[in-house]
Amino acid sequence: MVGTAAIALAAAGCAGSGGSGSDEGASSGEPRTLTVWLMSGSAPEDLTNQLNEEFEAANENVTVKYEVQEWNGIQDKLTTALASQDPPDIIELGNTQAPSFAEEGVLTDLTGDVDSLSGDQWLASLKASGEWDGKQYSAPFYAANREVLYRTDMFTQAGITTPPTSRQEWLDAITKLKTTFGSDPAFQPLYMPGQNWYALLSFIYDEGGDIAEKNGNEFKATVNSPEVKSALEFYKQLVDASGTTAPKDADESTPEQAGLYGQGKIAMMIGLPWEVGTAAEGNPDIKTNTSGFPIPSKNAGENAPVFQGGSNLAIPVNSKNSELAKAYLKLMLGEKYQGMLAAAGMVPGASTDLSALDADPVSKAMAEASQNGKAVPATPKWATIEAGQNPLKDMLTAYLTGAKDIDTATNDANTALDAAFTG
Amino acid sequence: MTTTVQRAVPAGTSPPAPPRAGRPRRGGIGERTVPYLLLLPAVATILVLLGWPALQVIGISFRRLNLGELVRGEVVWVGLDNYVEILNDPEFWTITLRTVVFTTTLVAATVLTGLMIAILLRHVSPRVRIAIQVCLVLAWAVPILAATTMFQWIFDQQYGILNKTLVALGFDSFAGYSWFSSGASTLTVVGLLILWQAVPFVCFTLYAGLLTAPKELYEASSIDGASPWQTFATVSWPAIRPLVTLVAFLSVIWDFKVFAQVWAIRQGGPDGESTTLPVLLYLRGIASREFGISSAVAVLMILVLLVITARYLQLLLRSREGDVS
Repeated sequence: MVGTAAIALAAAGCAGSGGSGSDEGASSGEPRTLTVWLMSGSAPEDLTNQLNEEFEAANENVTVKYEVQEWNGIQDKLTTALASQDPPDIIELGNTQAPSFAEEGVLTDLTGDVDSLSGDQWLASLKASGEWDGKQYSAPFYAANREVLYRTDMFTQAGITTPPTSRQEWLDAITKLKTTFGSDPAFQPLYMPGQNWYALLSFIYDEGGDIAEKNGNEFKATVNSPEVKSALEFYKQLVDASGTTAPKDADESTPEQAGLYGQGKIAMMIGLPWEVGTAAEGNPDIKTNTSGFPIPSKNAGENAPVFQGGSNLAIPVNSKNSELAKAYLKLMLGEKYQGMLAAAGMVPGASTDLSALDADPVSKAMAEASQNGKAVPATPKWATIEAGQNPLKDMLTAYLTGAKDIDTATNDANTALDAAFTG
Repeated sequence: MTTTVQRAVPAGTSPPAPPRAGRPRRGGIGERTVPYLLLLPAVATILVLLGWPALQVIGISFRRLNLGELVRGEVVWVGLDNYVEILNDPEFWTITLRTVVFTTTLVAATVLTGLMIAILLRHVSPRVRIAIQVCLVLAWAVPILAATTMFQWIFDQQYGILNKTLVALGFDSFAGYSWFSSGASTLTVVGLLILWQAVPFVCFTLYAGLLTAPKELYEASSIDGASPWQTFATVSWPAIRPLVTLVAFLSVIWDFKVFAQVWAIRQGGPDGESTTLPVLLYLRGIASREFGISSAVAVLMILVLLVITARYLQLLLRSREGDVS
């Protein structure tokens, strides 16, 4: 889920228990270098500095070579790096990429180390994305999920006192906003591009459906189920009710929705917490006037389950310092650094303590929704679908534009997904 | 080796410097190898940079090479499995046909447009000619992805200037019209984009060819009362025919393997309907990391390209010194 992770924040390690994993060769006195690759935006500098200093202090003769990688093109870069003689010792993988690396057997098996890596606190959906064939190949790092970001000032003016807690209330809010601001032709109560498949996933999960079912290591697409059709219908209902002028044949990044939201004519969008920062770049008032609420469920008072994006941490199988790398992971996934992650606005992958997220209403809404998080099927093929052509996007566009009826659209997507799973 | 090389130099008579034998005799072997030595760096570079990778691709196309094999350094030969898999995939044939149709249409359009502008250039006043040439150079100079982004904006469903203009002209049905809703329509937009980028080169080349036709011939034909069409057919065409063949050949190669524009516009969508062979190569190779299969696709692409350009290659091989007029 490269999208999510793209701008994420905060990584780091934990110092808490004092890096005791260094026993195995550190005393030999031979200088060693531990190469750590984290993604751009993952780790604030002060966190990694602290972590690396602490790790170097605890392990004699060890230098941490910390490098920040860009998400753009990372798959190629990892492919090349993993195949080299001297790969990095720790890498960060988008949680939807992780299974494809695990299946190829290029990651170190961490099954035996789960307990020492705070395994009892791992976020279930990220843990699942690190599993393949009954073994654990990567550990949760941090997660993030979408929520509804909204303009508090507009809600107040439209007489909406509390954020919607059911689909019906959500639709009602759209109507009220339209009544209040509708005279401005550029106004959109909810910005909803046709290919926001992350939002669709949430609606599907809420209906009790899923996009695939797992049987052993085999996956079978289930997007022609009644649940998915209901979810599609609700998606269309939202688009129609809002009268959004967002393109039906593009996702939320083309054009970038945060930029449009920043222009101040949009009351709501479904996005990630840090999109508020992007929106506020040209318009600082946006930040103070924006809050968030979890995507409402069709059952009043509940939150819809969300698609959980995030990152995992793994050790390449060719790493020459795997024991050292495990010690580093242990530090990183410990209480201290996971707490700092939360303070930086991320859902920590290896800590159930989310209290640090409560300070900011936008982060709070994300944390609340994350309780109910689900990931895409942990199939190695999902990375291919995201890097290539995503049938869910085509299904949405075809249905919303009327190019296909709902049965044809879902059946076609089902066939395409099945082909991708086996391909 | 014999140093007294016998050469076909006409004895006695002083020849009017025949092109090949005009060199002083004492040059000998050293002098004769000099051209080859001069060629050597270029040939070696080509062999290392082109020949070796090409051989590798062919080799890999007979192996299973996914990320796992790559990382573990395994060599797994699978014979023709990759080819069998691809050739049995009906999708491959659809994509191949689509790519061939796309390429030929695009090449025909490019050469025709380029030719017409080139002829136009001959007939307009110098000022207009310079203006057109500046425009062409500017279009040529725009980086591929910048031009692609521009076209995406132009054809944008909501905010695109094209739909807005059409609506302003009274074609109300184009309000919110999606130009990317079908593969054919998407490929048409991609085709226009590539055409826009490819025409300048073709146009300048052909215009240069037109300039080589002697002025006297045009004067003579006008004195003889030839129609413009006759003038074109008898004076201009012979001058540019080899160049037309050349640019058509080059365009086939370029348009056949164009990837960036197709991918950037809609990633080969919707529903994979604008997927061409290079996009398939990317999907299998980069997105799926199945390097064996994607190498097989690459080899098949070269074969398809050979078939398309067979006629030109035949002419090239038959004629001496690459003159294909």
